[in-house]
Amino acid sequence: MTATGEGLTTVCYASEITGVGSLVTGFVDDHGILVFFNEQAPAELQDISVFHRPSIERHGPVPGDVVEIGATSFPILAVGDVVERNLIDLGHIDFKANGKVTADLPGDVCVPEHALPQPEVGDAFRITRGGDPRAAPPAAASSAATPSGGEGT
Amino acid sequence: MTDYKSVKITKGRGGWGGPLTVTPTEKKPYIYSVTGGGIHPVAARIAELTGGTPFDGFKSSVPFDQIAVAVIDCGGTARVGVYPMKKVLTVDVHATSPAGPLANFITEQLFVSGVSPNEIEAQ
Repeated sequence: MTATGEGLTTVCYASEITGVGSLVTGFVDDHGILVFFNEQAPAELQDISVFHRPSIERHGPVPGDVVEIGATSFPILAVGDVVERNLIDLGHIDFKANGKVTADLPGDVCVPEHALPQPEVGDAFRITRGGDPRAAPPAAASSAATPSGGEGT
Repeated sequence: MTDYKSVKITKGRGGWGGPLTVTPTEKKPYIYSVTGGGIHPVAARIAELTGGTPFDGFKSSVPFDQIAVAVIDCGGTARVGVYPMKKVLTVDVHATSPAGPLANFITEQLFVSGVSPNEIEAQ
């Protein structure tokens, strides 16, 4: 993995992008919105969504976590109340590049303006915690360094 | 032959849109639950009162023209607009208002939100 020095990074969620719907480009460019669903989501959601195949589904995001989509990474500013359940149950998450520090809607994950890339099939999608000491409280970063799961295998 | 009945669905606290009258037919039998964790209680209640067929959208899909009503638990951006865009009657269990890229498809004739089983009334 890519933990650098003592700056241990917890992977909250890891996935691979397997499909990009026809409306995704416009959602990103015109609205600053990027919608994910896992591959079990019904076909009618394909047009508006990035479809993906998760390999690690530990936690939903909290403010300060970092999102990686392909070569792009950006911080999470705010998280709505139903985000974790959406992500863990449905592989569903709505990123909004609005720079807000409180989520207007229960499904919103707010990120900096213009932060969102155009995802491509094969890109990795990850949510990580704790790589930057300023990014998350120490309690969330599991400084004990005793990973019980086998994520590296 | 199934004898279908109608229900009236009104918005719940903080909700928007509706009321909607839902009546399944032979050609549109499905109460389509696009929610986490199986058939949502709202979808189950609609199916119980109408005689429609509950269907879990995360297990497999049905064509839009066979859906009597879609029940979603959308936080406000994506699913909230997809079904109205296809002219499918849509019930959101969360109290959302029209928003997002598809907001212009969300009308009071097609959409009602903030709905719990208490807002579903047999006709």
